[in-house]
Amino acid sequence: MSFVSLYFIFFIFVLFGLYYILPAKCQWILLLLASLFFYYLSSAAGFFYVAISLAAVYVAARVIQGIYDKAGKDEDMKSLKKRSRPVLIAALTVVIFLLAVSKAGFRVTDALGVERGQGLARLVIVPMGISYYTFGLIGYLADVFWKKDRAQKNPLKLLLFMIFFPQIVEGPIPRHKKLAECFEKEHKFDYTQFCFGLQRILWGFFKKLVIADRLSVFTSQAFSNLESYEGLVLIIAVIFSAVQLYCDFSGCMDIALGVAQCLDIRLYENFNHPFFSKTAAEFWRRWHITLGAWFKDYVYMPMVTNPGLIRFCQKLKDRFSPRVAKNALSVIPLFVVWLLTGLWHGTGINYILWGLYWGAVIIFSTVFTPELKKAAQILHVNTNSKWFDRLRIGRTLLIFLISRAIVATRSLDTCILLFKRMFMKFNPWVFFDESLYTLGLDRRNMFCALIAMAVLWFFEYKQETGTRIRETVASYNIAFRWFLYLLLIFSVLILGWYGAGYNANDFIYMKY
Amino acid sequence: MRDELLELLSNEFPEIDFEESDTMVDDGILDSLTITGIIAAITMEYGIEIPFEEISEDNFNSIDALADLVERLS
Repeated sequence: MSFVSLYFIFFIFVLFGLYYILPAKCQWILLLLASLFFYYLSSAAGFFYVAISLAAVYVAARVIQGIYDKAGKDEDMKSLKKRSRPVLIAALTVVIFLLAVSKAGFRVTDALGVERGQGLARLVIVPMGISYYTFGLIGYLADVFWKKDRAQKNPLKLLLFMIFFPQIVEGPIPRHKKLAECFEKEHKFDYTQFCFGLQRILWGFFKKLVIADRLSVFTSQAFSNLESYEGLVLIIAVIFSAVQLYCDFSGCMDIALGVAQCLDIRLYENFNHPFFSKTAAEFWRRWHITLGAWFKDYVYMPMVTNPGLIRFCQKLKDRFSPRVAKNALSVIPLFVVWLLTGLWHGTGINYILWGLYWGAVIIFSTVFTPELKKAAQILHVNTNSKWFDRLRIGRTLLIFLISRAIVATRSLDTCILLFKRMFMKFNPWVFFDESLYTLGLDRRNMFCALIAMAVLWFFEYKQETGTRIRETVASYNIAFRWFLYLLLIFSVLILGWYGAGYNANDFIYMKY
Repeated sequence: MRDELLELLSNEFPEIDFEESDTMVDDGILDSLTITGIIAAITMEYGIEIPFEEISEDNFNSIDALADLVERLS
């Protein structure tokens, strides 16, 4: 079931009604049933992997918890961890193996010459949300291992944590401790929060249907016919592709967080106006926030505190200098994190290149911070001025656009071709000779896309500068408020990209 | 210990006032890269290991909490 379908709207409104009628004790059961129903309609075959991952993680967490609970007072954490580590590793192996099979299984079976749907290839399934629920489960298990969370006693509650329907499509990547607390609570209907949730869902539809799906027509045409286009047409396609990705992914998040808010459940924010970031590191604290936070908490920080790495860095300090040692302590984990981030997005060479590209940018700015500051001083650059901030925002956008171009065409060969053709010709006349209207968007639709993007930028800018949009709308009188609601509803209905035999494009991040 | 640690960290990160806040992580004064730098400075200066379980906001939110951490692990 797609988020952008009439079935989904019907589904959530029936759920909202039942949710607030039923006794509080039954609310989590209703959410579980709704999530199972949603998952069954969206990815029934995926239940096989879900069941294996659930069983492995549930049992492992309970065993680890049992070791900790039965430990004597004089037993130190080191020996407890030593005893529970094999259990942790066994469960992690199972869930990571399933993730790897779903990501790269077909590559292996294709290489072995096994036809899809035959033999070994029948075991390869790509369950909806596997990357998101696997990361959620790994985080949960690690938290139990590090005593930051307690093992869930009820396997059904753990299952709900895994497949809670608003977050299973594209995240946000959940944290068990917070979400489990939410499921335990009694949820009472709150008119204001419910309205805010609905507004957010509507805004998500606007981003997805009016902007992302419209721009996808242009970008698909450009990237699947690279030989036919060149110069500025392809540069515009890359810019559109970046906006499309943002609207698609953040639009899905608006729908997910809006639905959860209507259910009085707060999920983690996944975006915070990333296009206003001044540095690459800041960009990743504002874009796909829960993925960055997950890698920080479960890969980066454990590596930074790893005794083996610390000893290695101490040797570097003795042999070279303290600066080399300190840089190594951040550079090595950063390299691993970005390699894994690339692999998380896809197993193709261009995704690995994409991860290494971001890693290189962030590592460069980390290692050479003192030199960059010195250069600014020598050149008398006022780094606190507004124009310098704008320059940094522009530079970060450029870094993002280059990264987008690396993966926009899905293979290394086409990526190289895209970069070649983007810069082989300077053709500004495309703005005047109507050739931009030959990529699937006529003049009217191009105008509509540009206006919608301007509206998006306006609201993003207002939020970035401190305006709370939904609270502001709520403060208007009822007539004006409803005028705005209806304007947005009719914008989605009339300007949404539907076409003949409408079937909304899948969300881009759904496949990760 | 507190003053010694304050001097060490102030030299490493002159742009940060470690006495300014008791909620340095929550306030965003310390990001993950700065925390890495603090871990590097402490482990290399005092020759101690900081177990991952000790990497929590509570232990990094203030200079006093950091000094307690170092004393505990020394």
